[in-house]
Amino acid sequence: MAGMFCGANMGGETETAKPVEPSSGSARRRRMEIHQFRFVASDAAVAPPPPPPPPESGRKRRKVEVVLPASSPPPRICNNMFQNSKLERNEKEKTKEEVDYNMWSSSSPKFGMTSVCGWRRDMEDAVAIHPSFSQGNPHLHFFGVYDGHGCSHVAMKCKDRMHEIVKEEIENSSDDLLWKETMKRSFTRMDKEITDWSSAAGVSSTSCRCELRTPQCGAVGSTAVVAVVTPDKIIISNCGDSRAVLCRNGSAIPLSVDHKPDRPDELARIEEAGGRVIYWDGARVLGVLAMSRAIGDNYLKPYVISEPEVTIMERTADDDCLILASDGLWDVVSNDTACGVARMCLRSLKPRSPARSHRNDVSVSSAGESSDEACSDASILLTKLALARHSTDNVSVVVVDLRRDV
Amino acid sequence: MATTAENQTEETEENFQQFYEKWKTQQNQHLQELITASEHAPTNETMSTHLSNLVKSVVEHYEEYYKAKSKWAEENILLMLSPPWTSSLENAFLWIGGWRPTMAIHLLYSKSGLQLEAKFSELIQGLLTKHDLGDLSPSQLSRVDELQRKTINEEKEITEKMAKQQEKAADADTVELSHLVSEAMREGGANERNREAEENQVESTLHPKEEGFKKILDRADNLRLKTLRSIIEIFSPVQAVHFLIAAAELHLRIHEWGKAKDERQLNGGVGHPISQQQT
Repeated sequence: MAGMFCGANMGGETETAKPVEPSSGSARRRRMEIHQFRFVASDAAVAPPPPPPPPESGRKRRKVEVVLPASSPPPRICNNMFQNSKLERNEKEKTKEEVDYNMWSSSSPKFGMTSVCGWRRDMEDAVAIHPSFSQGNPHLHFFGVYDGHGCSHVAMKCKDRMHEIVKEEIENSSDDLLWKETMKRSFTRMDKEITDWSSAAGVSSTSCRCELRTPQCGAVGSTAVVAVVTPDKIIISNCGDSRAVLCRNGSAIPLSVDHKPDRPDELARIEEAGGRVIYWDGARVLGVLAMSRAIGDNYLKPYVISEPEVTIMERTADDDCLILASDGLWDVVSNDTACGVARMCLRSLKPRSPARSHRNDVSVSSAGESSDEACSDASILLTKLALARHSTDNVSVVVVDLRRDV
Repeated sequence: MATTAENQTEETEENFQQFYEKWKTQQNQHLQELITASEHAPTNETMSTHLSNLVKSVVEHYEEYYKAKSKWAEENILLMLSPPWTSSLENAFLWIGGWRPTMAIHLLYSKSGLQLEAKFSELIQGLLTKHDLGDLSPSQLSRVDELQRKTINEEKEITEKMAKQQEKAADADTVELSHLVSEAMREGGANERNREAEENQVESTLHPKEEGFKKILDRADNLRLKTLRSIIEIFSPVQAVHFLIAAAELHLRIHEWGKAKDERQLNGGVGHPISQQQT
């Protein structure tokens, strides 16, 4: 139970894109601390955006078709504990040229991801990245960040299963795919799997902290922020207080709104269902959980629901990148700062840190191209920034490059 | 027997105390060398080798400390678990007779955060900056994270072992013996107490417990040393120098602050020097 409080006690809101003012003392305190930080001022150093490139519509563009190896495992290193992945590009360019101005289609998206335990003693974040996760359409890519509370097993289960469920839902749906319905169905199924699995568990081989021994298993849950990136759209489905932010032409556009119990519409929904929000180290459902939606958390149903809010955003030529992260980042780094940092990394012609040349440093791309490295740099710098600002939670950051022709 | 034990205690204490004081002085000397070394980025092979050698010798100095500690623990484990040569402040932070292994990672994150913060504006403008702990590379951070998880797990395991060991204070043997001795004390007049037999019995009941503590302290010290070695391995020589500086500064200053606090306490001064100044 203690873990649950730990995982959820970030009770406040960050500066950006919030309908609700932070109400808890701790949130206010934290905000002040953030403002005191010396390098907030230097955020201004993020270069102003240069004028947007001319729209490419109508221009001929070489279509790149990608052939993935028959068994193309997602590029993962070690158990999701920490990953900083780049996908081996395995592309074969077609000679045929096509007019296709609405294409960002590649089956090897560029992304970087970092997920660390940080200042906490328990790792409850999980990240799943599955490029070309649907056989029917190699241009659909899946990115998910899950921030568990109470224990890590719900987050781990989401990591293992969510993309498979979404894939099935996509493949089973009719020709005109309705994203909102598809994603909502997927989240419902994910939640049900957790419930079924928890009640059947005990025999499970899981090695997590709670060991699924007690009825408290119902007190374990996870946030889920899932991005399906298609050639022309970004579909964000969110449940909980992890967040997706789009960086477009230098500015930050939040693609999800955190599910906090004191968000007016969420508060109304909870109270209508007969639940209460109690202020105990921030607003908490029944005084317990500091978010109003989550996968799992059986004992807080029906006040805490697993239904995601789905945002569909059309991609444009101005898009820089997409950032998905757990509240370990967002608690201490504003949307704008995060976008500034990510954009700087994507655009910079590598201020290579000398550490990279160190012989111990082997992981990052000798053959790879710079933009994946740039995404990795972005995710790592954001993570280090969160650690430097003493984020008390695990920190997981995924940066997906959305630019064309890079 | 009691006097012999006391004498032995004193001797061990004095020896290790002396060793500790000497070690601290050496640590301070190393700190000066590390600081000098950190002031100039190595520009050639010779300088790099110098840094590597310096790092190596500082790590060896830590190894020496644990070797000595283990030797003295053999003689008096209890003293090692509540060391009188450290201050009350340090003792409050003690984990099984020493620093908590995961603290090494927190030390890194703190120092790395401060150094990142110091050069963030340059970094964000894409400028090449001074190489230090602020620019941990992706693979370095990944290895640190991995080390952290491993260390937390091992730390938890040892903590659990320690819990079991401490519960033995009330095992059947000890409880029975405490009752028998109490009874003998109550009946003192009536029955002639066989003091020597009693002491032997106490010794034989406590001895395995002390052995148990010794094993746990060894494991804890091994983990401390292993964590230190592993984290140093992750760094470039320059970064290792920065880390060792931070470690020495933290140790030496906390020790001094703690000693000063204890002294004030001893001199009858209660409370904080600042509040005393104000009154």
